[in-house]
Amino acid sequence: MAQVTSSGFPRRGLAPVFLLLALSLLPISLSEAADVPLEYGVKATFLLRFTQFIEWPSEALGPTDAPFNICVVGNDPFGAALDQIVSGETVNGRKVGDPKMDREPARGLCQIIFIPGQGESPGWLSGVGRGVLTVGEGESFVRNGGMIGFVVENRRVTFYINQRNAAAAGLDIRSGLLAVAKSVIR
Amino acid sequence: MLKGSTFRNAPIRQKLMITIMVTIAGAMLLACVGILSFDSILFRANLGRDLSALARIIGENSTASLAFNDPRSANETLSALRARNHIVAACIYRMDGTLLARYIRSGALEPCPPPDVHDRLTFASEDATVSHGILLGKQRYGTLMLLYDLGEIAERRRLYGAVVAGVLLISSLLSYLFSSRLRALIADPIAKLVQASTAVADTSDYSIRAPKLSGDELGVLVDRFNEMLSGIQSRDDSLRRALADRERALLEVRNATERFRFLAESMPQKIFTATPAGDVDYFNQQWIEFCGLSFEQLRHWGWTRIIHPDDLDANIRIWRKSLETGEAFHIQQRFRRSDGIYRWHLTRVHAMRDERGDISMWIGSNTDIHEQKEKEEELRRANEDLQQFAYSASHDLQEPVRNVTVYSALIAKRYHDLLDEDGRRFLGFLTEGGQRLAMLISDLLAYTRAGATEGELTLQSVSQVLDYTLAGLAEAIRESGASVTHGPLPDIYIGETHLQQVLQNLIGNALKYRSEDAPRIHIWAENLGTTWRFAVKDNGIGIDPSYREKIFGVFKRLHRDHRFSGTGIGLAICQRVVERYGGRIWVESTLGQGSTFYFTIPQHAGRAFEASAQRSNG
Repeated sequence: MAQVTSSGFPRRGLAPVFLLLALSLLPISLSEAADVPLEYGVKATFLLRFTQFIEWPSEALGPTDAPFNICVVGNDPFGAALDQIVSGETVNGRKVGDPKMDREPARGLCQIIFIPGQGESPGWLSGVGRGVLTVGEGESFVRNGGMIGFVVENRRVTFYINQRNAAAAGLDIRSGLLAVAKSVIR
Repeated sequence: MLKGSTFRNAPIRQKLMITIMVTIAGAMLLACVGILSFDSILFRANLGRDLSALARIIGENSTASLAFNDPRSANETLSALRARNHIVAACIYRMDGTLLARYIRSGALEPCPPPDVHDRLTFASEDATVSHGILLGKQRYGTLMLLYDLGEIAERRRLYGAVVAGVLLISSLLSYLFSSRLRALIADPIAKLVQASTAVADTSDYSIRAPKLSGDELGVLVDRFNEMLSGIQSRDDSLRRALADRERALLEVRNATERFRFLAESMPQKIFTATPAGDVDYFNQQWIEFCGLSFEQLRHWGWTRIIHPDDLDANIRIWRKSLETGEAFHIQQRFRRSDGIYRWHLTRVHAMRDERGDISMWIGSNTDIHEQKEKEEELRRANEDLQQFAYSASHDLQEPVRNVTVYSALIAKRYHDLLDEDGRRFLGFLTEGGQRLAMLISDLLAYTRAGATEGELTLQSVSQVLDYTLAGLAEAIRESGASVTHGPLPDIYIGETHLQQVLQNLIGNALKYRSEDAPRIHIWAENLGTTWRFAVKDNGIGIDPSYREKIFGVFKRLHRDHRFSGTGIGLAICQRVVERYGGRIWVESTLGQGSTFYFTIPQHAGRAFEASAQRSNG
């Protein structure tokens, strides 16, 4: 039923709709981080939602009291938005954390690594190891070793998925997520 | 379908067919309605489950679309609903109520139903609405609304209707065929029965029988019908026989009547018949010829005109009395002949009774006794003259005879010495002859008196009369040393002198004709119903049987013997008296062993005496 396809439906003017959606979904983040662009508010939400459509291998999650970390590497575009979104959330019974760092994170620390910016993908990207979902921005990110790359199209946040990379890292992406992706590399 | 009386008068096979078909059609219809209703309920339940499942699947496939706000994939998901003809519209709403994606069936005008926060299935008349929350984990992302067109139900109903119609058609056909078979089982035997009963009614032939085709109630009905017919047949036969018997009996009655008429016509007597009430309804030809009157003139009470006026009262009286009592009667009366002369007739009338004892008719015969009557009258007159003569003669003779005896006795006394032996002997003959003559005359007087009237008859005690008689005979009894006994004796209507004459003569004879032994005489009476029989038995010399009749003649003496004095008139007097009262007298005897004299006196002797007295006087 959920067809994974890149062939586009005629995109309609959904901007006002999207805006409303964002407002309704993120009331707090918008009111308290007025300076954070709406785009990153959405991306922060998406980062947390990915956890509901992807199966992590159990060894990647560590002990049950260990946090589920969404690590932001480099320049943090979210401000307080991501903090607020993950606050109080859990994934597989583990508290969700959002540590920020400038360099390659320590192995086993992060379950999701978000690398903001359209720049060159870091060299360590392909070596982050098993059980880590790498999320970046732009289509090139998924072509250069990344797994999910946000793009903004028609003022709407969507993403590419490189399923091969994800599968190689032992991550099982559910078809629903694949279906909503702009394009999937298999 | 036939209605009311039309159906009631329809032949049974039609009724059967209609009943079977209506029953089957009704049952089928009911079953189909039941199935349809059940199916409708089941269908709704199934539809509810189906739609819920569909909503859950769509919802699950749309979570990502909602989560990542992707109308394209949501629309794709919804477009799969094209395969379901009855989904009119499907919409996915975000949490804020905005539309993420929608599917409208081509040609459908209906908009999506607004989002509902509760999961539910709502049936409306023509459609059903499903609202389904789209969740991921505990997080609700939006709402799926489905609008389902219930036209399917109508479609299913149409389909079922077609099936029902088909089944009905086939079952009707089957029931028609079935009813033709049933007709052979039920309608045919009934038709046969109807045929038989119609034949019986038309021909009155009770030997017709209905054929029995089965052993069920109809078979029993046929049996009963046939039994009834045989019952009627036998009754019909016996009725016919009874009718034939009756006809024969009527014929016999007619024959008997004709025989009677023929007999009556051929008789010399004048015959008539009368109804039980006494209305004369038949006179034979002798009547008509005798009186010269027609039947019409004689019938009813017209015959009274030919009766002598002096006889009419007695006739009417006795006739009325008989009509009351039913007793026969006879009467002598005079009828006027056609030439105006009255002739004596003896009329005898009897009641004829049927087997129940009721009077069916009166039959009367009239015999002309005119000549006889005239002769009788002559005879009576002669007899009377004779009696008168005998009486006056014997009465007149008494005086000279008394002179003879008195003076002969006087001569014997006074002139005894003057007479020689021969004279005395001759005088003795003279005295004896005179005495004998006196006795004869006295007996003759008694005999004539026996035929005379004795005035008013009173009830006499026979026993008392016997006592007087025995007192009169006391000397003779004493001399002979006889013993006289008697049994119980009745009181009867008879003249005292007459009874005394009879008893005196019979007892006197018994004393007179004694044997060597002392006489033993016994008198008794027996009631024979209408008469009394008296008997006087002795142990005397008895009577030779050849003289049994003779002894009752006047002056008949059996014994010229000197020992037995008497004139020989005693038994003649007895017979005269007894016959005067309508009785008779006879003797039973064996020579040397005594005799028994019997005489009867009818209990209504008084009447007979009166009648005979009237005859002799009238």
